[in-house]
Amino acid sequence: MYLPAGVRNYSYAQDMAIFRTKTQWVLLGVLLLLLLVMPSFLSNYWLSVCNIIAITIIAATGLNILTGYCGQLSIGHAGFIAVGAYTSAILSGQLGMPFLLSMICGGLMAGLIGMLFGLPSLRVKGFYLAISTIAAQFIIMWVIRNWAGVTGGNIGLSVPTAEIFGYSFTSQASKYYLILAIAILVIFFAKNLARTRPGRAFVAIRDNDLAAQVMGINLFRYKLLAFFIGCFFAGIAGSLLAHCYYGFLNPEFFDFKESILYVGMIIIGGLGTSVGPIFGVILIRLLDSILSLEIVPFLETHVTLFTSGWASGLKPMIFGAVIILFLILEPRGLAHRWQLFKTSYRIWPFSY
Amino acid sequence: MADLLQFVITGITVGMVYSLIAMGFVLIWKSSGVANLALGQLVLISSWVTYAILVQAGLPPWLGVPIVIVIAFCLGWLIERFLLRPLIAQPILSLIAVTLGLSYFLDGLITFIWPWSVDALPRLFPQDTIHIGTAVVSQEYLWAAGISLLLFTALTLYFKYSRMGIAMRATADDQMAVQACGIPVTKIFSRSWMLACAMAAIGGILMASIGGIGHGLIDTGMKSFSVVILGGLDSFLGAMIAGPIIGLVENLGGGYLTALTWPGIKEVIPFIMIIIVMMIKPYGLFGEVRIERI
Repeated sequence: MYLPAGVRNYSYAQDMAIFRTKTQWVLLGVLLLLLLVMPSFLSNYWLSVCNIIAITIIAATGLNILTGYCGQLSIGHAGFIAVGAYTSAILSGQLGMPFLLSMICGGLMAGLIGMLFGLPSLRVKGFYLAISTIAAQFIIMWVIRNWAGVTGGNIGLSVPTAEIFGYSFTSQASKYYLILAIAILVIFFAKNLARTRPGRAFVAIRDNDLAAQVMGINLFRYKLLAFFIGCFFAGIAGSLLAHCYYGFLNPEFFDFKESILYVGMIIIGGLGTSVGPIFGVILIRLLDSILSLEIVPFLETHVTLFTSGWASGLKPMIFGAVIILFLILEPRGLAHRWQLFKTSYRIWPFSY
Repeated sequence: MADLLQFVITGITVGMVYSLIAMGFVLIWKSSGVANLALGQLVLISSWVTYAILVQAGLPPWLGVPIVIVIAFCLGWLIERFLLRPLIAQPILSLIAVTLGLSYFLDGLITFIWPWSVDALPRLFPQDTIHIGTAVVSQEYLWAAGISLLLFTALTLYFKYSRMGIAMRATADDQMAVQACGIPVTKIFSRSWMLACAMAAIGGILMASIGGIGHGLIDTGMKSFSVVILGGLDSFLGAMIAGPIIGLVENLGGGYLTALTWPGIKEVIPFIMIIIVMMIKPYGLFGEVRIERI
């Protein structure tokens, strides 16, 4: 931990603090205030964009714990999100469970399924594990598509709106506050997890799992724990997606391409950093909504050079190119750029 | 009983095409340690290129198919030169992620050029059915299997006797030693990508001329992953043997299990196989078990 000159710690509590200077507290306060007053000057469309960003941040934070900290690449994240979404929707819609409880059940279910498909991670790693998570995605989506009696199959499933203690989250702004609160909790948890014993164990496993095992880290326990936490957050995000964003569920929402995009988001943001997923998600989701709201319809009507329907190919092309360019030009992601910016701000006007 | 024979023959012949595509994967994995997850998209895009040349440009197949293969070579060279070469010596995570990005990009590119997403190729092979015992098999499958077999033989000979093939095998064995012998490793990498793309293209042409062009071809590429997992990531022989096994299991399962479970089980059987193989024999039938030392 780098400290600016003149800042010293006088107690262990100070040494452990995430926010240590007055400026940081003020900035945090300003940020929170900004997030709280956001609904009053955003239209409903942009508010729903904020909602999907916050939900995606929850899922991407989970994936970041699994992939960024623990090094277990998962390309089936959309499948685990689907597990959470469907579990929660079925529990609250058909069995009448209260929203908060069904959300947590959705998270637990996704976590358990994640652990099940994470079992191969004990024997294999790298590409083998990536393939088994792809297989997980396809098997999960196949079950959801075909178990029509419970999941509604390809037709879909309608989901009741979220309700906590009689208060129903119907307006876009109320949903925003609910999702924001959960997202902040998740980010706070993830930030702190990295500094605990399991967090350090994850990093050790990522760097060299054999060496970690030799040092006495229980691989079985910690790898499965990483899968559980990562997929638990995916499940929570899925539940929010079902209750607060879509309002109904369809297997289309949890496509394999969505899984690739999640991996892309944490790479763009910066693997293994707590701010990384936030940056990556904001970049991709904003790009997504700007492209689909403004640019693609505009080009579709004004450029008639190509076969009609061509513009729907633009988005995947741009996303793919962004992922590739980040990997080649800035593999440490936006989080690294942010770090560089902070450093240069602190020591300005000197170069070092 | 007629059903059984039918499933067996279709399974084995389709499986040989899977093997062909899977060998492209193994080739890249062995020589450069890159896992090519864009395999399905490469299969799809090359069958669309075939469509563009045979249908849209109207060239005859004897001229069109070689052109497609040349284009596939170019595509492979471009991918290696501009995506993989800057990432040499990066962690495996980046190498996997870059091919994922590539698959996303190719998906978009296909929609960009051919937005209607489903079409048919002209039939390249005679379609008369052949009676084998009690089974009725479309001749196309046998042609596809025959061409795959021919290519296996050609590739095996290439790796065994040609200078470049031997250099490629040596690179797979020990990159450092090969570099020390003065063999340009980057050239080997780009050669293996070119060959792999050509194999994906031929697999794509064979599958597309039988079943038409569509997103199902991406799944064909995905199924080839189960072939490489079952056969072992670094074994050509494994890919050759595992392909027909996967095709067989897929067709038998699709034939007999659909009534017991849900429709579409045929499509997930390869993925279920992946999980089973991972649990029992993670390095596949012929894969080299890696012993790690610290």
